[in-house]
Amino acid sequence: MIASSWSVRIAHLTVVLLALFALLEGRLWLLQAIQGPHYLRLSEQNRLRDYVVPAPRGVVYDRRGQPLVTNRAAFTISVLPMEVREPERLADRLAPVLGLDRTEILTRLAAGRRRPFEPVALLRDASKAIVMTVEEHRLDLPGVIVQAEPVRDHLQGELAAHAIGYLGEITEDELRVRPGYRAGYLIGKAGIERVYDSVLRGTNGRLRVEVDATGRPVRVLGRELARPGQSLVLNIDAGLQAVAEEGLRGRTGAVVAMDPRNGEILVLASTPAFDPNVFSGGVSPLNWKRLTSDRRLPLLNRAAEGTYEPGSVFKIVTGMAALGEGVARRDSLFNCTGAYRLGGWVFRDLAAYGTVNFIRGTQVSCNVMFWTLGRALGEGPLERYARMLGLGRPTGADVAAEAAGLIPSAAWKARTVKEPWYPGDTLNMSIGQGWVLVTPLQVARMVGAVATGGTMVRPRLARRILSPEGIEVSAWAPEFVDPAPLPEEAVRTMQEGLRAVVDGGTGRAAAVPGLAIAGKTGSSENPRGIPHAWFAGYAPADRPSLVVVVFIEHGWRGGVRAAPIARAIFAAAFQSLLSQTGGGRP
Amino acid sequence: MKVRWARDVDWLLVGATALLVLYGVVVLVSSTRGATEAATFLRARSMHLVIGGVALLVAGTIDYRRLAGWAQVLYVGTLLLLASVFVLGETRLGAQRWIVLGPLGGFQPSELAKLAIIVTLARHLDSVKTLPRLGSLLPFGAHVAFPMLLIVRQPDMGTALVLFGILAAMLYVAGARPRDLAGVAAAGAVALPFLWQFLHDYQRRRLAAFLDPAADPLGAGYALIQAKIAVGSGQLFGKGLFAGTQNLLRFIPEQHTDFIFTVVGEEFGLLGATVLLGLYLVWIWRALAIAAGARDRLGALIATGIATMVAVHVVVNIGMTIGLMPVTGIPLPLLSYGGSSLLTTLAGTGMLLGIWGRRTGH
Repeated sequence: MIASSWSVRIAHLTVVLLALFALLEGRLWLLQAIQGPHYLRLSEQNRLRDYVVPAPRGVVYDRRGQPLVTNRAAFTISVLPMEVREPERLADRLAPVLGLDRTEILTRLAAGRRRPFEPVALLRDASKAIVMTVEEHRLDLPGVIVQAEPVRDHLQGELAAHAIGYLGEITEDELRVRPGYRAGYLIGKAGIERVYDSVLRGTNGRLRVEVDATGRPVRVLGRELARPGQSLVLNIDAGLQAVAEEGLRGRTGAVVAMDPRNGEILVLASTPAFDPNVFSGGVSPLNWKRLTSDRRLPLLNRAAEGTYEPGSVFKIVTGMAALGEGVARRDSLFNCTGAYRLGGWVFRDLAAYGTVNFIRGTQVSCNVMFWTLGRALGEGPLERYARMLGLGRPTGADVAAEAAGLIPSAAWKARTVKEPWYPGDTLNMSIGQGWVLVTPLQVARMVGAVATGGTMVRPRLARRILSPEGIEVSAWAPEFVDPAPLPEEAVRTMQEGLRAVVDGGTGRAAAVPGLAIAGKTGSSENPRGIPHAWFAGYAPADRPSLVVVVFIEHGWRGGVRAAPIARAIFAAAFQSLLSQTGGGRP
Repeated sequence: MKVRWARDVDWLLVGATALLVLYGVVVLVSSTRGATEAATFLRARSMHLVIGGVALLVAGTIDYRRLAGWAQVLYVGTLLLLASVFVLGETRLGAQRWIVLGPLGGFQPSELAKLAIIVTLARHLDSVKTLPRLGSLLPFGAHVAFPMLLIVRQPDMGTALVLFGILAAMLYVAGARPRDLAGVAAAGAVALPFLWQFLHDYQRRRLAAFLDPAADPLGAGYALIQAKIAVGSGQLFGKGLFAGTQNLLRFIPEQHTDFIFTVVGEEFGLLGATVLLGLYLVWIWRALAIAAGARDRLGALIATGIATMVAVHVVVNIGMTIGLMPVTGIPLPLLSYGGSSLLTTLAGTGMLLGIWGRRTGH
């Protein structure tokens, strides 16, 4: 091959190339062969750690600004999986110190191996004694670190436990659907802690520290401050909530108190409750087992998640439907003989009340009257009015979990029970028995709709968001859904009937002198034991500003067990007004 | 064209390419181990390799003389592609260099643009026989300047540096007078302080960090210091595969892409690094040999461009990792994780093989 005109110049380039590579090789020789031992030492001392500095969650206040949940300083014992050479030995040493199960430690370590640079929290809210023991034995516990991490402090203990909820460590499933969250994070698992997790959660900070060979921090190299979460003001009134919970003490049940004009939930109580403080440091397996295996279901929020037979409280629906559809008027007369004959069957009432008009029939809760009305209406209108008043579907309240309840229909029965709808089903339905299931929260909205003449609110626990400095960031405006189209005349008659219930009727135990209260009692037969006791009412009767629903599981008679609790709540809510004059808002 | 395998294929070049790719896979596995996405990286790398292999075969089959015939279209198309980044591009790491192509992931037009610039510049240079004066270099400077401005605005200083190297080498091979080239270089050195004010903040910080890494050990200087510690601590024989602590502890940012050489230096030591440099030397030497033996000036210029492209990438990337140069984000050819870079290098290899296969006859 003859030398081309360019081959000489390419040879020059090759020389330049060789020179550059020689330069690289020389530099590598210097770095690796000559200075290698120096850099090796540097790399061994090179122990930087990046810690997440957890942001304190926002404070939760009641409507009057009383703090319900704050944070307190606590220490978390964690392990850095990448620093652990012998997990078995570490678990052997740690288990007795932390009071944890050895296999539990190993399981958590193994799970953490997937992200070896992130500390795995073993024990949150560790006691001073444990923290000191760990610090003293640092040399024997390689990879174990103690971090300051604020934990939730529920100042009022069990008060409003279900409304507020609790935190727990994020699960793998939750991690997948929540971008930006990382393993080990505590997130809201129930109540408003869950619904408003993104509001309450702040932005975690970071801390980069240099540590020595034993893992002790030598100096802080950089920090990003954590930004605390925003605070939440609830509509809950801690005072009323306490009255409600006092009334429920020793019983299984729920209380809801709500302003029917705007949906503000002032009381959301459920018993038996739990102390959310046991969740503060991440719930211990023992406590968790105790809470979940308790047959009285303390974690269940009966006010929103529990569905129950409404019994006579449902007569509000039947009455509204009858009046609204023109099947009955205020002065229609009914013969309450104590029994209702349907074909060959006889349905028996508690008592005979003689001939009554609609008001009197409602006041004494005459079953025969409501059977007669239900029969005249048929199950179709009953179902329609029940749905119009918000039953059979979740209210959309900002509770973390809510049940839909059940309003039966012929189609539903054919589909589910695979039986036709019998006239007896209509009779049962018209007094809130049979298949009907409701939550106390739904009942509160239903009663509120009757009280206000058809306003259908979206119940709300949260009121305002405050910045960490306490400045209002945003507030919720009342939210409404489709109003119930109830004829004015029908509403007036129903309200008169409900007023009569408390004024000398089955609900007279709810009466507060000087305050006009309307309501309805219920004692609902159920397949699990003695009847449930209900009271659902509102006050002041002429200008309603508060709906109260009391539900006692197997409480026997609504007028006996539930109404007095409602009385206490009404009395407390309107205390200041009662000492002066007239009605008004709480 | 009938291929006579022993004569028409440069097996040394093919072998060096294959070994470098293999080296890259091993290092990628090591540098991403422990990361949750490790399997994803490997899967994507395999897919890049398949696409790159196809590109190599296609580029080798097409006659470079016919390709050069389309120079004008190629050139305008490249400019449009680069400009489209401003419209379609996605910002990553503060620089808008990426176009997202559905499941194939990001695509960096500036990588592929280098090959197009080489081919069109070669054709442009081939159209003049001599470069007698300083002024005769001007059109070629402009030829590279337009795409370069689009790239620098993107902003990708490393790629601009590569293009400058390619231009200089190709001009030299095309017959430019050394003193003219020296004059341009001197002018560039004088202009540098003025360029300072066009740099982004992060680019200024990197330059300052290069001059004094200890001034800001947690900021821009951090990567530099940690990279030097990683490479240095590898000593003669390295800490062994998967045993690098710098690597494991994630002290090195971007370690599977631009800083991949730290893994080589730490885990395989001076020995492994020298082997790697040796493989690159063989590759570039073969590319230059292909340039020298090309049947025509066009082929020689294209091969020179490709050889220079890889050489500058290697020298700048490794140089920055071991503290010889300021940090500029350019990949290490065939090793760094990144589809566009791999595709470009393998297509370039294909073109080299094509030039070699056509060096006689036909």
